Amino acid sequence: MKDGFRQAMAWLHTWVGLIFGWLLFAIFLTGTLSYFKDEITHWMQPEVQVHGVDDARSLAVAQAYLERQAPTAARWFITLPDSRDPGLSVMWQDKVDPGKRGNFIQKVLDPVSGQPVQVRESMGGEFFYRFHFQLQMPHPWGRWLSTFAAMVMFVALITGIITHKKIFKDFFTFRPRKGQRSWLDGHNAVGVLVLPFHLMITYSSLVIFMSMVMPAPIMASYGDDTRAFFSEVFPATDNAPALGQPGKLLPLGPMYAQARQQWAGGHVGRVAVNNPGDVNASVNVFRAGSDSVVHDFGSIVSFNGTTGEQVRVSGEPSLPAVIGGSFYGLHMGHFAGPVLRWLYFICGLAGTAMIGTGLVIWLGKRQLKHVKSGVMPFELKLVEVLNIASMSGLIIAIAAFFWANRLLPVSVAERSAWEVQVFFIAWGLSLLHAMLRRGRQGWVEQLGVGALLFVAVPLLNAITTSEHLGVSLARGDWAMAGFDLTCLGSGMFLAWAAWKMQRRAALPSKAEGVPSLKLKPEAH
Amino acid sequence: MLVALLMCYAGFTALCLSTDRHHGELLHSKPSPRRRLGLRAAGWLLLTVSIWPAVVIAGWGQGLVQWCAVLMLSALLLVLLLPYRPRLAMNLAGIGLLACPVAAVATL
Repeated sequence: MKDGFRQAMAWLHTWVGLIFGWLLFAIFLTGTLSYFKDEITHWMQPEVQVHGVDDARSLAVAQAYLERQAPTAARWFITLPDSRDPGLSVMWQDKVDPGKRGNFIQKVLDPVSGQPVQVRESMGGEFFYRFHFQLQMPHPWGRWLSTFAAMVMFVALITGIITHKKIFKDFFTFRPRKGQRSWLDGHNAVGVLVLPFHLMITYSSLVIFMSMVMPAPIMASYGDDTRAFFSEVFPATDNAPALGQPGKLLPLGPMYAQARQQWAGGHVGRVAVNNPGDVNASVNVFRAGSDSVVHDFGSIVSFNGTTGEQVRVSGEPSLPAVIGGSFYGLHMGHFAGPVLRWLYFICGLAGTAMIGTGLVIWLGKRQLKHVKSGVMPFELKLVEVLNIASMSGLIIAIAAFFWANRLLPVSVAERSAWEVQVFFIAWGLSLLHAMLRRGRQGWVEQLGVGALLFVAVPLLNAITTSEHLGVSLARGDWAMAGFDLTCLGSGMFLAWAAWKMQRRAALPSKAEGVPSLKLKPEAH
Repeated sequence: MLVALLMCYAGFTALCLSTDRHHGELLHSKPSPRRRLGLRAAGWLLLTVSIWPAVVIAGWGQGLVQWCAVLMLSALLLVLLLPYRPRLAMNLAGIGLLACPVAAVATL
């Protein structure tokens, strides 16, 4: 009876893991990259210069610019630069008739000169972030699919714990260079050692999606927009309505200081001004998400814009909001400093590796049965092609995305859309290649191409911009330098992987001993 | 975070040595029952106590998250080092334990 149960769980783990493994691999890898969303965006828009963070100066500069450019706008949004994202971003919404929503116009300002920076059009890290839960699909479908994938991931984790019962006994066991055995060891090791992270990230994604896919009124009216912060802006709408009489907006600096005082020195993420030219102007100061582990969606201090009087301070969040907010906060990791952010990144890579090794094991075990005849059935060929394209193909696509960012001319129409196109074209090509060159040869070639593309990223950056490693390191621009160095490191890792594959491929042809693939099929 | 990392790593190494297989691989002998018990107790103690420096430095919210991260990655580091550089893996634990008080004085 007990064995029957475990077998059922193993069956579920095997098949659910296979069917959704390819998709989950992509979600995990792009989600992991999203931990460095701002840094990636910084690299992809090198025109934005890094200055020392000075919020008072930035606010004054932004206010002066907006008063010149958009005195009659319905709303202003000012996002202050921080150590991760050096751009001072301002956005305003045109005033239109009631009932309609005006267009949003966004500019990135230089926080010192106050002039708009001519940045190349690019989605930057936002692309990976969007992709990991929208999957580049029309609105509700991508979110539904990724929610479903998250549920499947949760099922795969639970069944995995039951199936690989020995993971806790073999806690410290990893035996390399033993073919299939090593893959299973690796799968178990990254699975069990980073299990708290896997459970947290999967469960919290379900909690986040719960409110996203529910037909809540916020989502019904704002769902199609790609900016998540509309939901954050939502509480701001109960500010006083415009009276239609012109008024003079006070400087935002003192309100900013007062809000920080209210939060005992907490940081400001964004400042929103409603009806800036009106006598009834209102100012909402939003707290930065990086201040605490528990994400608070509505931590706001509101002011009357023309008198400077503090109107409202949002209260303590309710208990459900704290619980929901802590899952959200843990998943996003906005609060993480550089070291913790890297640890998050490594955990994410471990999750990706767990999925990848699982896919390899599925195929490896079944291929063993056909080694003698040398003929693979169609379904195994299909899985092999999809394995190659979904793993090494995705890596190539990511590299191609970065290359496109540097090589596409700045003046191309719909430039950021083209970058995304290049990503998918590269992925599609790798699928074609995997169909033509199957097996280890496919792996070696794709990993090799990925390695080349990544290793050359710092070089590409040096040729096409003035932000090469010598400059960025000397100036202490760690986001820029870190990106280059991480690409270099990833490229070298891929080269090592390709080399290992190549060597392994050469082995069985030498009639020497047991090919490393043929090892005792393990209970799985 | 450093103190917690060193303590977690040493704790996992002790737990690892308390198993017959790994004790045999690393020290080429079978641990006596008393030694096994002692290692296990020391390991669990180190892992539990390592919460304290993390929370003291970073507060409950951040501290617990940091502790979890450090817990997972110290184990991952140990497991990846063991098959390739067993001696280094062991020495690191020893050095870590020795460096613990120094790091504690420097950061706490």
